[in-house]
Amino acid sequence: MTPIEPIRKSVTIRRTPAEAFELFTNSINEWWPLRTHSTSKERAVRVVVEPGPGGRVYELRDDGQEIVWGAILKWEPPNYFSMTWHPGRGEETAQTLELRFVANGNSTSIELEHSGWEKLADGAIEARNDYDGGWDGVLKACSDWCIEK
Amino acid sequence: MAYQSPLEALAESTRRQIFEKLRHGPLPVGKIADHVPVSRPAVSQHLKVLQQAGLVRQHRVGTRHLYSIDLNGLAEVRSYFEQFWDDVLAAFQAKANQEKK
Repeated sequence: MTPIEPIRKSVTIRRTPAEAFELFTNSINEWWPLRTHSTSKERAVRVVVEPGPGGRVYELRDDGQEIVWGAILKWEPPNYFSMTWHPGRGEETAQTLELRFVANGNSTSIELEHSGWEKLADGAIEARNDYDGGWDGVLKACSDWCIEK
Repeated sequence: MAYQSPLEALAESTRRQIFEKLRHGPLPVGKIADHVPVSRPAVSQHLKVLQQAGLVRQHRVGTRHLYSIDLNGLAEVRSYFEQFWDDVLAAFQAKANQEKK
């Protein structure tokens, strides 16, 4: 399956890369919209970003349960970090999230890249030999998607 | 039933198990029910939620109803996250710029 184009987003803020990196990771609870952007919504208490490679990123629910969002892959403050991304899903469907903090005069651009979309359907593609009919529709959906990109 | 985002739909552990079973290929409800610790009607209910979140599709082969991962749904999941990251980065930007003039 042709890779699906990553999502790319960026914003510029009036901060140094070091400040931006700190705010995005260690101080994430000061701004992350947890009530709407978490798996447990109003029951979510906080987000935890454990710094360094292998560190976990998870949300803490009001009953003490930790819901893992992913794990840090590369940790290069103040300019870059990457992590696996599988909130509410199994690790084998993990996608990749990359954050770059680029100095830009007195400001910093934060560039986000969310890739690995085909990961969500890999199993379905590999299982095509077992697919007794109906596969045409799936392939068509796949090619429509690839052409669209 | 209220529409659920893919993230919410998969936050429930049984639904996650069902979704992951389907990653290996299409299955009928009965087969799925063999692998998860809930009743068949409960599995059907979970499949409905997954369908509404755009993650799973249903199709017929002869007299059998099979469920599989919805590749069209991937587009929906992707656009859900487009919006998700817009919101997150907007919140980040607002916070960052508010404290330092």
